[in-house]
Amino acid sequence: MSKKISIFAREDREITVGLPRALLYHRYEILWKSFFSELGVQCVTSPRTNKAIIDRGIERSIDETCLSTKIYMGHVDALIGKCDYILIPRISNFGIRRFMCTKFEALYDMTGNVFRGSGQKFLAYDIDVVKKTGEEKAMIAMAEAMGFSRKEGKNAYKAAKRFENDDWKRKVREEERKLRTDQIKIMVAGHSYITEDEYVGKPVIRMLEEMGVTPIIADRIDRKEAIRQSARISPTIKWEMSRELMGSIQIRRNKIDGVILLSAYPCGPDSMVNEMIIRKFRGLPIQTIVLDTQEGMAGLETRLESFTDVLKLQRGEL
Amino acid sequence: MDAGKRNIAFPIIANYNCIVKFFIEKGMDLNYIEQPKMTRRTLDVGTKYSPDYVCAPFKSTLGSMIDALEAGADTLIMTMGLCRLGYYGELQEQILRDLGYEFEMINLASYTTGNVKDYYKAIRRLNPKISLSRFTKAALIGLKMLEYIDEIEALYYRNCGFEVNKGEYRKAYEDFLMAMDMVNGRKDIERQYRKTRNAFREIRLDKPDHPIRVGVIGEYFTVMDDFSNLGLEQMLADMGVEVHRWMNPTNRNLHYKGQKNLGVQISEYSRFEMGPTSTANIWCAKNYAENGFDGLIHVKSAGCTPEIDIMPVLENISRDYKIPILYLTYDSQTSDTGLQTRVEAFNDMLRMRRAAI
Repeated sequence: MSKKISIFAREDREITVGLPRALLYHRYEILWKSFFSELGVQCVTSPRTNKAIIDRGIERSIDETCLSTKIYMGHVDALIGKCDYILIPRISNFGIRRFMCTKFEALYDMTGNVFRGSGQKFLAYDIDVVKKTGEEKAMIAMAEAMGFSRKEGKNAYKAAKRFENDDWKRKVREEERKLRTDQIKIMVAGHSYITEDEYVGKPVIRMLEEMGVTPIIADRIDRKEAIRQSARISPTIKWEMSRELMGSIQIRRNKIDGVILLSAYPCGPDSMVNEMIIRKFRGLPIQTIVLDTQEGMAGLETRLESFTDVLKLQRGEL
Repeated sequence: MDAGKRNIAFPIIANYNCIVKFFIEKGMDLNYIEQPKMTRRTLDVGTKYSPDYVCAPFKSTLGSMIDALEAGADTLIMTMGLCRLGYYGELQEQILRDLGYEFEMINLASYTTGNVKDYYKAIRRLNPKISLSRFTKAALIGLKMLEYIDEIEALYYRNCGFEVNKGEYRKAYEDFLMAMDMVNGRKDIERQYRKTRNAFREIRLDKPDHPIRVGVIGEYFTVMDDFSNLGLEQMLADMGVEVHRWMNPTNRNLHYKGQKNLGVQISEYSRFEMGPTSTANIWCAKNYAENGFDGLIHVKSAGCTPEIDIMPVLENISRDYKIPILYLTYDSQTSDTGLQTRVEAFNDMLRMRRAAI
C-alpha cells in the first residue's frame, strides 16, 4: 500500500464509496474493497438484506422486474445520502459469447433514473470487452472519476487483483474440500447474488445443512475450466455466469448426489438455461426452486426435505 | 417444389417472411416452406413445450417451427440476437429433438464469432454450390423489399384510420403484401411499390389538421408482429388515431444511426447503452414527446428484460414532457377484449386531454 496515496486522500477529505450489498457485490466484494482501501477510500456497505430493504426495493422498482433487482434497489436506497459515491456496475460483456444478462448493461442508468433528483453521485464500473473496455480500464476509470491519478489507480488495481485471486483460490479449495465428505452432497446452482443473499439464498443453504446435507456452491469453481466445459454441453449459451454454473455441474457431476437450480423470479437467463440443464443432464437428480418475495419457509422446507429423501433413497440410506 | 432440394423454413415474423422466401428461392436456389399464418393453436403448442417463464416470442416462434416441420420443412433457420433471442435457436432445437422431430438446424447464433465472414459459412452449409453473385444480388433486392414493406406499412397505419370509404386502405395494403409474396425480381418489386403508393394516394381521406398522434415503441419482435400484439396498431387506427412506429428493421438495422449518434441525444437519461433496442426506444420516446405527440404506447412481451429496464427512463420522460404512456405487456394468454378496453380508455383520455388544453 502506497502511503502517499492514502495521505493524499486523507488530507483532502476522506472520500466514501457506498457498495450496495446485492447483485454483483458478492462477485466483486474482495476486488472492490481492497481497491478502495489501497486508494485510502472509505467503503460503506449496506446492511444484509432484510425485510425492510426488500420492501423499500419493491417500492422503487417496476413490478415486472426480477426479485434480485428489486433487492438491489432497496440496497441503493439504504445508501443514498450516506456516501459521496455509490458504485454501480455496468457490465455488457467479457467478450464474444461471454455476455452478462442485459440487466447489468442497464443497471447504472436504470438506478440513475430511479433515484433521479436524490442528488446522489454514482460511480460507474463499466466493462465492455467487445468495445475494448476491460476490468483494468474500468477500475482505473473509477479511480480517475474520484480524482486519483491513472498511476494510483493502476497500482491499486494490481494489488486488489492479487488479493482477489488469492481469496478466490481459497474459496474454490474450500469447496473442493467439502466434496470429499461422505454426507449427501447437493450442488446449489444459482447466481452468487442468490446463493449469498441473506434473505433469499442463505436460508436454503442453512436448511440443507440442518438436514445433514453438504451444500456445494456451484459457482465457486475454476472459472476458466467451467466455461470451457459449458461450451461442450451448450455451445451458444451466452451468459458468463450461466456458463460457470453449467460448467461447474459438468465438472462435478460424478462427485455430487443432486443439484438444486436456485433462481429468483423471473430471471431471464435462468428461464432458458435451467431448461437446457434439465434436458442435458438426464439421470442427475435436479430440483428447480424459483424464489419470489413470498414469506413463510414451510413449503420450501418440505420440498428440500423430500428431495433429500429421494437422494438418500437412491444411496440406499433410507 | 423441386425434389432433391432442401426445404427450408423460418419462423413467421411480422410481414417479413416474403423476404426470406425471396432470398432462399431466388438467392440460394432452395425450396422455401411456408407455414400457415400463426393461430391460437401455434401459440398453444409453442407454450406447451416451452419453459415456464421464458419471454413470449420464444413460445410463438417455437410453435411456428412446429407448424413448419409439419408442413414438410427439413431445415430450420433461426436467427442470432443480442438478448435472450441469441439462445432461442439452441434451446428450441433441443426441445424439438426431444419431441422426436428430425431436421437440420442452421442456428446463426453458432456462427456469431465476431467475424462477419463466418455467417457465409452458414450459407455455404445450406447450399455448397451457391453462386456468390446471385446470392449478393438477391440479398440487395431483399433489402430493398424490406425498405418498401416498412415504408408502406408506416404509411398505412398513419392514414388508414381516416379514410372516407372504409376498407380501401386495407385492400391496397393487403394486395401489396400478397404481391410481395410472389415477386420475381427488382422490376416487379418497384412496380408493385409504385402501384401501391398510387393506390394510397387515390384514397379519399377525411383527416383533421391536427389528428391525435400516438407513438408506438417497445420490444423489437412484439411491436412489429401484429399477431403477437393482437393488432394493436390497427386497433388504434380504427379509433381515428395517427399511428407512428419508428421501430422496424429498416430503421433499427439497415439505417440505424448507431449508439454514438443516438446516445448523445439522450445523454440526460442514459450514459451507456442499456440493451439491444434500449437506446433506440428512449431516443424515440423523447423524439415523439418533443414533437408534440399526444401519447406513447410501450409494448413488450412478459419478462422482456431490456424493455423492463428502460421503463424507469420512460417514466422520467413522461414526467418531463408531460406525455402519457400506456404500458402493455403481452404473454401467451392475453385476450384482445382486455386490450381493447385499455386502449379505448387511453384514447378517450388523450382526447379529453386535448379538449382541456
